[in-house]
Amino acid sequence: MRNPVDHLMERWARDMARRVSRRRFLGGLGALLFGAATVPLLPVARGETPRPAAGGAADPGDPQTCGYWRHCAIDGFLCSCCGGSVQSCPPGTEASAVTWVGTCHNPGDGHDYIVSYNDCCGKTECGRCLCNRNEDDKPLYMPFKSNDYNWCVGSKVGIAYHCSTARIVGVAK
Amino acid sequence: MKRALAGALLALGLARAALAQLPLEPGGVAQLPAQPGVHWVWVNDFSFFALPDGKAFLVDGDSGRMLGLLSTGYSFDALVVPHSGGVIYSPETYFSRGTRGTRTDVVTIYDTVHLAPLGEVKIPPKRASIMAMMAGQVLTDDERFLLIYNYTPAQSVTVVDTRARKFVGEIDTAGCALVYPTGPRSFFSLCGDGSLLVVTLNDQGRAASRTRTKELFDGLRDPLTEKGVRAGDTWLFASFEGTMHPLKITRGGGIEAQATWPLFSAPELAQHWRTGGLQHLALHAATGRLYAIVHRGGAETHKDPGADVWVWDLASHRKVQQISARNKVASIQVTQDARPLLFGCSFESNRLDVYDVASGHYLRSVEGLGITPGLLVTP
Amino acid sequence: MSARAPGAAAALLAAAATCVAAPPALTPKPQADYMLNCQGCHLPDGTGAAGKVPSLRTSLAPLLQSEAGRRYLVQVPGAAQSALSDAELAQVLNWMVRTLSARPPPQFREFTPQEVMRYRATPLVAVRAARVRLLGTAP
Repeated sequence: MRNPVDHLMERWARDMARRVSRRRFLGGLGALLFGAATVPLLPVARGETPRPAAGGAADPGDPQTCGYWRHCAIDGFLCSCCGGSVQSCPPGTEASAVTWVGTCHNPGDGHDYIVSYNDCCGKTECGRCLCNRNEDDKPLYMPFKSNDYNWCVGSKVGIAYHCSTARIVGVAK
Repeated sequence: MKRALAGALLALGLARAALAQLPLEPGGVAQLPAQPGVHWVWVNDFSFFALPDGKAFLVDGDSGRMLGLLSTGYSFDALVVPHSGGVIYSPETYFSRGTRGTRTDVVTIYDTVHLAPLGEVKIPPKRASIMAMMAGQVLTDDERFLLIYNYTPAQSVTVVDTRARKFVGEIDTAGCALVYPTGPRSFFSLCGDGSLLVVTLNDQGRAASRTRTKELFDGLRDPLTEKGVRAGDTWLFASFEGTMHPLKITRGGGIEAQATWPLFSAPELAQHWRTGGLQHLALHAATGRLYAIVHRGGAETHKDPGADVWVWDLASHRKVQQISARNKVASIQVTQDARPLLFGCSFESNRLDVYDVASGHYLRSVEGLGITPGLLVTP
Repeated sequence: MSARAPGAAAALLAAAATCVAAPPALTPKPQADYMLNCQGCHLPDGTGAAGKVPSLRTSLAPLLQSEAGRRYLVQVPGAAQSALSDAELAQVLNWMVRTLSARPPPQFREFTPQEVMRYRATPLVAVRAARVRLLGTAP
């Protein structure tokens, strides 16, 4: 039996390495966000202005960063950086009702939460805090598990995609 | 003194005028030759930071020169360039107020010499808005019908008759996504249960038959990416975990799954080598070589770009070459001539890199190609 | 931070966190399965999207009136191709009928895993046509 702490650290290290490579997507912001990626481990990342966590110890991390636990399968611009929040759309956009739903593990309380990735629609791209993580993402032929669709397809205002939210809708385990 | 200086300057000016060699210029608009160059490539920019502004850059891989551009609307995937030449088809979406108002979807037909619209076919405003995929829009093998994947979220395929330049109709593909041509009157779509929907068309472009194959892969355990390439009568799909799945087109237009083969050895898999990217496979048909973007990342890195391109011989399934990319790439394409070039680009930058396939050497980069260049299409 | 964190690691973290906070209430299994496999398109209350996604509130009861309708509910790709086992899918269908249907049928015969398995074995190809045949209308 392996030491569970070693196992956990190894897993974190692996996740971190993966996230760092994804950060390159963000170009010049990479270095700054690399610091932010350590948020799940430390209350305040080194070299960054402290921001309030979403919900204290039970909801650790910064919703304006890609590494925030609820973003485990998000693909797009984070609404928290665009005038909205992790659960609400920025002013003047429409929340697409139709979306896809997945689970993310909350390191704050050890539970797996059911997360609904509703897109906000009707304006051009927010263009801030681009984030692509693909935990349990599946190809386009499994639409209900794919983050490669523009989920503004279900909005009344049209398919113009602005940003993505990650709302808790249930607790899986 | 002053007069002398003025005189000298005047003399100099007259001498300059007399020496002027450049002709007066009438202005005009450039044209392209009727035949595309063998080393040309269309760099399709889905423009993820400005989705209404899709575009496609035509680049000459030998000189690194940009030759022209097409402006292609909202949530652009890629141009469809028929081998028969003369025209280019582009499925496009527009809103009457840019990002709002009435949505109109069209297939714009451009001529290849002037890169100007020749006409358009209005289609139902349903074309899927997705991460750019080659299988979002394809031609049947005889290039008569253009097939476009729709998602509303109901799934269907729009059929356009390219000869009559008319919308023919829509084929229900519920449960199945994207379009992979298998002949002059047939295609398949990939289904969520690991089966394929095989569709045959009649000469009017209407569905003549629709059948589901048995389950050919396990979409939950080890899904195939949608980014397959076609080698003659065989479609090749890589799974997330690095297994190649050849799907052979049978004579009746059916599909037969052939023996799968591993892209990676057990030690390579243990070192987390996987394929990844947006257009992560390419093929050189004459030599039967398969090119794949690879990286070390392990599970769930199926969209990550890679800094290496590995090459397999399709007959022996042996890895025969490794090309180290100068920059990470998410999309690759190979020209089909005898001295092929390998093109690579990434949505993380707006640069196209060009490599010589035979030597694996980096040749040049072409900078400034839009915002998030995605799919590479060779004319 | 995937859903498939090792049990030991999850337990360790849970132990650290639950010293201060009460554990959140788990979503009942059939509802959680509905959320993860159906809710994205059909919405939390089953209303769907007019012209795009069928309403479960109004279409479940009429479909349950015939064997062909019951078969359709299992064979429709969203159900048949979900990641759910036959037993889980039967439970979700039963939960949907009881919870989302605007007028639950008075004598509802529950779906069994065996019935789901039987219908699920044959994929439905002409989905839209089948729906029009059974309900007289597209979504």
